[in-house]
Amino acid sequence: MDANSIITSLKGKFPDDICDDIMESDIRIGAKVKPENVVEVCRYLKEDLSFGHLCCEFGVDYPDRNEIEVIYVIGSYEHPVVLTMKAILPRDNPEIESVVPVYWNANWYERETYELFGVKYLNHPDLKPLVLPKEMLGEWPLRKDYKGFPNKTARNLV
Amino acid sequence: MDEIEQTNAEQDAVLDVGYTDVPGTMLTDSNAIADFLKKTKVQDVLNWGRKNSLWFMVNAMGCCGVELLATGMAHYDTDRFGIIPRNSPRHADVLIISGYVTKKYLPALKRVWDQMPAPKWVICFGDCAISGGPFYESYSTHQNVDDIFPVDVFVPGCPPRCEALIQGFVELQKKIDAKKDKGTDY
Repeated sequence: MDANSIITSLKGKFPDDICDDIMESDIRIGAKVKPENVVEVCRYLKEDLSFGHLCCEFGVDYPDRNEIEVIYVIGSYEHPVVLTMKAILPRDNPEIESVVPVYWNANWYERETYELFGVKYLNHPDLKPLVLPKEMLGEWPLRKDYKGFPNKTARNLV
Repeated sequence: MDEIEQTNAEQDAVLDVGYTDVPGTMLTDSNAIADFLKKTKVQDVLNWGRKNSLWFMVNAMGCCGVELLATGMAHYDTDRFGIIPRNSPRHADVLIISGYVTKKYLPALKRVWDQMPAPKWVICFGDCAISGGPFYESYSTHQNVDDIFPVDVFVPGCPPRCEALIQGFVELQKKIDAKKDKGTDY
């Protein structure tokens, strides 16, 4: 299974949900996905296209476009193609369906994206902060407009 | 049920006995004995003993923790100074802050510090513990650890060598000998 046939199969199965697909090389492909159907797309990728490994899942903040992108990087144990899938969410109320039912290791990725970007994952089994203290929830420190950095308060600088 | 209530009542009665009324006794939460000893030469003997048994808490917090662990190994043989790594805070005399203190870790570090029996000392080990190091403007690290803990010795470096930590211990021993440390108030 090569990159061309994967894109063709994906677009044939989900003609309304997959757009802006690009083929960067023979082993790297990318696409944008509608946030509503990301679980169905991921289930099809895992069960029919043998994309068995969710490498990482994270967010990117775009204040100019008023958007937050959630990016899934999905690899495979059967073929060398790596898929970069992006879901675009509104910055005011970013909500997306959780992919934990398909890829169980997305659990901690989604918790981290939640505490750093404020992306709310629906139907997540245990959506709570991963590494930040609970008091910092709501600050979303990795958004570009975060202002909570300490400024010139450190003494004893070496 | 009645027996349990009776036992509880008996225990409460035992606890309510006023020890302060018994002549010639003194509660252990009083500082009178220690305050008296500080004025005498006995304190010099106590400090000689304390400075030669600085057991440190094995609390590796960052990459400096590797140097901290290596210091406790056989190669540097810190036993000759009485410096022994201990795995329980209840056995330890010295807390070595060996890395960045994140906001989430600070309550746990305070808990470790509270579990250590006095007299106890703190060594800031590495640039991260002293000032924050590369993370000094991070959203998740706590700045100015010396506001929270009574730090006696700062050991700069990124990371400092094991010999630097041993010299830090020697400086702490000198401070204890000169009665200028912050672990016990004079």
